[in-house]
Amino acid sequence: MSEEQKQASAPSGAPQREGGHGGSGGGHSGPRREGGPGGGGHGGGGRREGGPGGPSGGPGGPRRGKRQYFRKKKVCKFCVEKMDFIDYKRADILSQFVQERGKILPRRMTGVCARHQRWLGVAIKRARNIALLPFAGSAAGTQAPRAVEAHKS
Amino acid sequence: MEERLYDLIFIARPATPEEEIKKVLSMIEHACTEKGSKIEKTEHWGTRKLAYRVAKHREGIYVYQQIRTSHGELIAELERRLRVQDTVIKYLTVRLDEDLKRQKKLGERREKRAARRPRRTAPAPAPTPEQTAAAS
Repeated sequence: MSEEQKQASAPSGAPQREGGHGGSGGGHSGPRREGGPGGGGHGGGGRREGGPGGPSGGPGGPRRGKRQYFRKKKVCKFCVEKMDFIDYKRADILSQFVQERGKILPRRMTGVCARHQRWLGVAIKRARNIALLPFAGSAAGTQAPRAVEAHKS
Repeated sequence: MEERLYDLIFIARPATPEEEIKKVLSMIEHACTEKGSKIEKTEHWGTRKLAYRVAKHREGIYVYQQIRTSHGELIAELERRLRVQDTVIKYLTVRLDEDLKRQKKLGERREKRAARRPRRTAPAPAPTPEQTAAAS
């Protein structure tokens, strides 16, 4: 077993390193990639990981070079929790994806994937129907007091 | 005919006494048994704040039920009766079985994929220490 693995690792090591230098990523991505495929183990696995590693390093490099703005990597919350069904009764969950006044937050802000956003929209609309969430525009309780305050000031 | 699962939520006025709500519940139950349907779940959520004003109320007593029926007319009948009720200020019926069916399907698919995945990933982490040792 160990001999086979060593044999497998020896040929796979060379293409990996080649891929690492060939990638346009440069110094930053170099060591990282070596660590990654090194853990890959079998020759096939290592190559497979090395293959996409090269092209992915390409766009990663220029992005760093062009503009230095940080973008938090957004992951769909529902995908992480592996939810196949968004319950309209869970107002506590739904309210995270709604503005204070009841507007549904866009996907680009919450990072929800397209499929879950679709389900989320349905769930929010159902929740609105039964007064668990406000409709956009009609913030409950805030309207009347706000109007009074405005008159006073 | 296939059976369908429905959600039924109604909101009663905040000052409604218990008996009134029980009366509404018994009315629903009566209508269900008439059509040979079953109430699967009944939950009393108690008094909750409404997200917007309904019939000049800011709060309401929520009651949630799940109904399994093979007669679609039952839902129409229930809605008609709830509309007449004075104590009920809002109600909602939602058909659930299609969503649940989809959930089940996706869950099965995920399980299948998860069962397939370990074969590919499991052997990979094992040789790492040996390989790193060999490399160094």
